[in-house]
Amino acid sequence: MLRASGLTKRYGAHTALDRLDLDIRGGDIYCLLGANGAGKTTTINLFLNFIAPTDGTVQINGTDVTRHPVATKQDVAYIPEQVTLYGTLSGLENLRFFAGLALGHELPRERLLALMTEVGLDHAAADKRVSMYSKGMRQKVWIAVALAKEAKALLLDEPTSGLDPHAAAEFSDLLRRAADRGVAVLTTTHDLFHAQQTATRVGIMKRGRLVESLDGAQIGQTDLQSLYLQHMRA
Amino acid sequence: MTMRWIARREFTERLRDGRLYWAGGLVAVLLLTALAVGWAHQRGAHAEQVAAQAMDYRDWLHQDKRHPHDAAHQGMHAFKPEPPLSMVDAGINPYIGSTVWLQAHRQSEVKFNAAQDATGLQRFGNLSVGWILQVLGPLLVIVLGFNAFAGEREQGILRQTLSLGVAPLRLLAGKALALSALLAVLLVPAALVAAVAVAVGAEPGGRVDALLRLGAWSLGYAVYLGIFVCLVLGVSALSSTSRMAITVLLALWIGQAVMAPRVLSELSRKWFPSPTRLAFNQALGAELKAVSNQVWQQNFGTTERWGRDVPLSKWGIALRLDDQASYPVYDRHYGRLWDTWEQQQKVQEWSGLLLPLLAVRSFSMGMAGTDFSHHRRFTTAAELHRRHIQDLMSKDLVAHADPLGDRHFSYQATPELWATVPPFDYHPPGAGWALRHQARSFLVLCAGLLLAAAFAAFATLRQRAL
Repeated sequence: MLRASGLTKRYGAHTALDRLDLDIRGGDIYCLLGANGAGKTTTINLFLNFIAPTDGTVQINGTDVTRHPVATKQDVAYIPEQVTLYGTLSGLENLRFFAGLALGHELPRERLLALMTEVGLDHAAADKRVSMYSKGMRQKVWIAVALAKEAKALLLDEPTSGLDPHAAAEFSDLLRRAADRGVAVLTTTHDLFHAQQTATRVGIMKRGRLVESLDGAQIGQTDLQSLYLQHMRA
Repeated sequence: MTMRWIARREFTERLRDGRLYWAGGLVAVLLLTALAVGWAHQRGAHAEQVAAQAMDYRDWLHQDKRHPHDAAHQGMHAFKPEPPLSMVDAGINPYIGSTVWLQAHRQSEVKFNAAQDATGLQRFGNLSVGWILQVLGPLLVIVLGFNAFAGEREQGILRQTLSLGVAPLRLLAGKALALSALLAVLLVPAALVAAVAVAVGAEPGGRVDALLRLGAWSLGYAVYLGIFVCLVLGVSALSSTSRMAITVLLALWIGQAVMAPRVLSELSRKWFPSPTRLAFNQALGAELKAVSNQVWQQNFGTTERWGRDVPLSKWGIALRLDDQASYPVYDRHYGRLWDTWEQQQKVQEWSGLLLPLLAVRSFSMGMAGTDFSHHRRFTTAAELHRRHIQDLMSKDLVAHADPLGDRHFSYQATPELWATVPPFDYHPPGAGWALRHQARSFLVLCAGLLLAAAFAAFATLRQRAL
């Protein structure tokens, strides 16, 4: 579903991403770990065609994202670290607008409220202006957009950063439920605990390169923190 | 569908963030104030013109018995009608005069302009609907739209929106539609109020024409503001921050509203120099004298005018010949001068491709009937009327005074002769004529809109999501 082959991004002499190969199938939750500047967000941005690769290819559901930037986005939902919404609109109005853009048709109020409930926002919160929302509430609205879209793949950039433990746990549940439905998930994080609890595959990045890759049972059997620190110190 | 949602969302946001109420409300109040002032001025000027024209003709008709040449020297005055749309754009009228003296021998310039009578303070307060739309209209578009893309990029909403698979051009179209709708909310009611004022201000026979002119005038401004909608969105798409966008847009606004008109005016005068008043009068006087000498030499064997060599029995003929010989000279000199001014005007209209203000200013004055081509037409009509008066007086002298020989000056015409001169009844040209004369500036505006739309599309496709 999400495939990168020899994916490279250079900014002048600086290599932000170096020959990355990834193949994430439906049902996978792939956690990319790494320090700041390791190339995690660059990878997400390349999948979204927000930046152009220097070399290599990126495909979503078998389609090259650089050739079909609009069409490939129909299959993915993206959740950034900092979700921003229109502050003068209510949560429900934001959801109606963005879900409408994603789907090409407007969802009825009942469905929108159901989505809000599914992500943990009650009716009272739904009608409040977003300028009064906390970071977690804004993130929930955007997750509701992603749910409404029923995308085949999720791209998440530090999604649990700044969330309280309860909200982070809820979020992990949400990802697992999505993966159970066959959705491919690529998420970047600093949160090793979240990765260990949620991921079906883990990759560790350092200076633009994928230096470690763990699958399924390996994750449970490995002391992820020690492995991560070992790579960071090397 | 997507475009409509984006437009609706933008529209709602502008309503809720207060920008429309403050910036738009201020512009709306200014528009209505300017319209009220323009309406009062137009009504006053129109009433004065009608009354003065009637009084002047009454004075002409009520002359006692007198020598026709004396009557020709008294002449009459032609008062330029104040068109109904001068209430929205007074154009050059306040600066170029409203009255022309139709006197013997000389083609007079149009005199008595409102600016001469204005106090220094009034010069600062010359506010018209046209000026507000030309200068403050783009500023309103900037205030409403400078952060349309740049602000969303800064906040991160743009990347979220684009991640949903929205085509950038649809996003642009939605934002353009929203900005246009916001402007329409403010300007359509103002246009309707203006339509009522113009309809009331126009003579019953000219009402349809005045409304047609207003319709075309409004269309011109719609295209003009459309250019700014595209420019503002294009600059916003290319700017990395809202601050950068508003800085660039304000610089462009200052350039087009303050600097460019002055610079272009100087450049057009440099490329198509017009003579000074002194040089013009000297050249005109010299050719009039040469032509007059030639005519007198050919017909009377002397260049000494009104001397002993020409008997009084030929003074009527001499007067007619002298006047008629001067007509082509006036036509040539004034024609050349006016053609030069029109060339200068053309330069400004073509500059409208880059500086739309110059094109819309010309179009606006043209459709309001307050531009130079309307003024030239009035002046030409007044001059033709003057010549008609001269020819009638000379004809009467040839018929009745010349046969009296030495007693030529004892002849006195009766009021029946004065009554053969019709009143100066000038009707300004219709909307079709004005539109034909302004076809170039309108096409320049349309071309400007296409260029601005292409720029906005290019900028939106090239913009960064991050």
